[in-house]
Amino acid sequence: MIDLRVERDLTREELRALASDLAGRPGDWRHLVHHDPKLRTYAQLRRDEHVAVWLICWMDDHDTGFHDHDVSCGALAVAEGSVIEERLALGGSPLRQHVRAGDAIDFAAADIHRVAHAGDGPAITINAYSPPLWRMGAYETTSRGELRRHSISYVEELRPLGGLAAPGSTPPEGEAVTSGTARVAAR
Amino acid sequence: MFMDISAGGLPLTDTDVHQHLWPESLIAALARRRELPLVRRSGSGWVLRLRDEPEYRFDRRDHDPQARRAQLERDGVDRALLAISSPLGIEALPREEAGPLLAAHNRGLLELGPGFGVWGAVALRPPLAGDVDELLDAGAVGVSLPAGALRSRSGIDRCAGVLERLEAHDAPLLIHPGPGPLRIPGREGAIEGAMPSWWPAMTGYVADMNAAWHAFIAFGRPRHPRLRVVFAMLAGGAPLHFERLAARGGPTGGLADAGLFYDTSSYGTRTIDAVVRCVGIDQLVYGSDRPVVSPPASSVLGPAARKAMVAGNVARLLGRKPVVAA
Repeated sequence: MIDLRVERDLTREELRALASDLAGRPGDWRHLVHHDPKLRTYAQLRRDEHVAVWLICWMDDHDTGFHDHDVSCGALAVAEGSVIEERLALGGSPLRQHVRAGDAIDFAAADIHRVAHAGDGPAITINAYSPPLWRMGAYETTSRGELRRHSISYVEELRPLGGLAAPGSTPPEGEAVTSGTARVAAR
Repeated sequence: MFMDISAGGLPLTDTDVHQHLWPESLIAALARRRELPLVRRSGSGWVLRLRDEPEYRFDRRDHDPQARRAQLERDGVDRALLAISSPLGIEALPREEAGPLLAAHNRGLLELGPGFGVWGAVALRPPLAGDVDELLDAGAVGVSLPAGALRSRSGIDRCAGVLERLEAHDAPLLIHPGPGPLRIPGREGAIEGAMPSWWPAMTGYVADMNAAWHAFIAFGRPRHPRLRVVFAMLAGGAPLHFERLAARGGPTGGLADAGLFYDTSSYGTRTIDAVVRCVGIDQLVYGSDRPVVSPPASSVLGPAARKAMVAGNVARLLGRKPVVAA
């Protein structure tokens, strides 16, 4: 675990600084890196009552789908490779940014975004959330274009099963689409 | 099978960490007793009589290993870890009385074979570290202790030898509701006042698990830094009180302690989700408490949460790999 003393919930700016700092210290997490073409892999670097920090490994077509973080704000710093972040915009194309190694972004609890691997080599991000992720909203659009929000445990987002992680795969037992498969056709 | 890198990339067994099965030898030994606890035939069934709890009727078919294996299949798990029913108070009996009952329990369960793992049970008057060696040598996955034995600083001190030996073996401890060697004034009221059968499970059990959790984080953890512990029934909801604990100046490290696990026995979506919010999903394991209750489905938070609770987290609890890489 990363040694970190936090006495209160952090702001998104503080989370961004924290994630960026950790991204620049690969000695703290290099041993946890594991890339899997089937799904994003995760390792928890830190968790207490105020902040949770994860190492996330991306490759190929890994994509979170559009989601929100319910009550947690967050930040993402790219340590290696690059990812694409899109913010959902109704009636238009998503607001898109390419986040490269050394860059970081932050987001409010209310922001709706998706993050996807940007292609080429595998990517590594450090993600920090405060308070620690709990419930999340995962978005899908129906065939009629209605936007639907599914309330999911953060586990379904951060520890997706193989079948759920692959975009477009069939959800098990006919359940509502969860975040791993949620795709909003607004691109 | 699911591959979980946090457990070393090995295929994982889906496990229910908390069930009870009374082997025939234990029921026979309890039937021979003249003092409480004991069992007796009663009409077409059986009845269990305890010192501090209302009479409990049970069906011996609920303790049939073959029937239980079939139940495991229906529950969608590969195996169950069986623990002694600590509320019977066997561990807290004088050693000469506890000995034959514990032997019947431990041996009877260790002989069951495929589909089952065993939390070994040890006598408490006094607790002996050598019992831990014996049980782990015989194939137990860890040892269980009643919460009543660990609900105070002196209780933790008294059990220190057992806890140290578990830590030395890198084997986990299950803390389950049940009395310790010292009586708690007022508990006998459950019988005297003709309280309903659910009363102890909602009062004494919750209070003891809550006390055991606080005692462990305050007095146990400093002395046993590497011991992995799983608290039955979400530790009586103890982690939910962390803000109050902090406000009163208590140690709050328990919330971020990767060596403390919580089984979900008898709880459903809302309470499990609340504890996840406090300690994170990595610390929760699936425990059903069969056959005492018919548990809620293990998938209450979704398939990924279920998989974490029956497989990856259980593997870390049982010591397949260090809890969290440093």
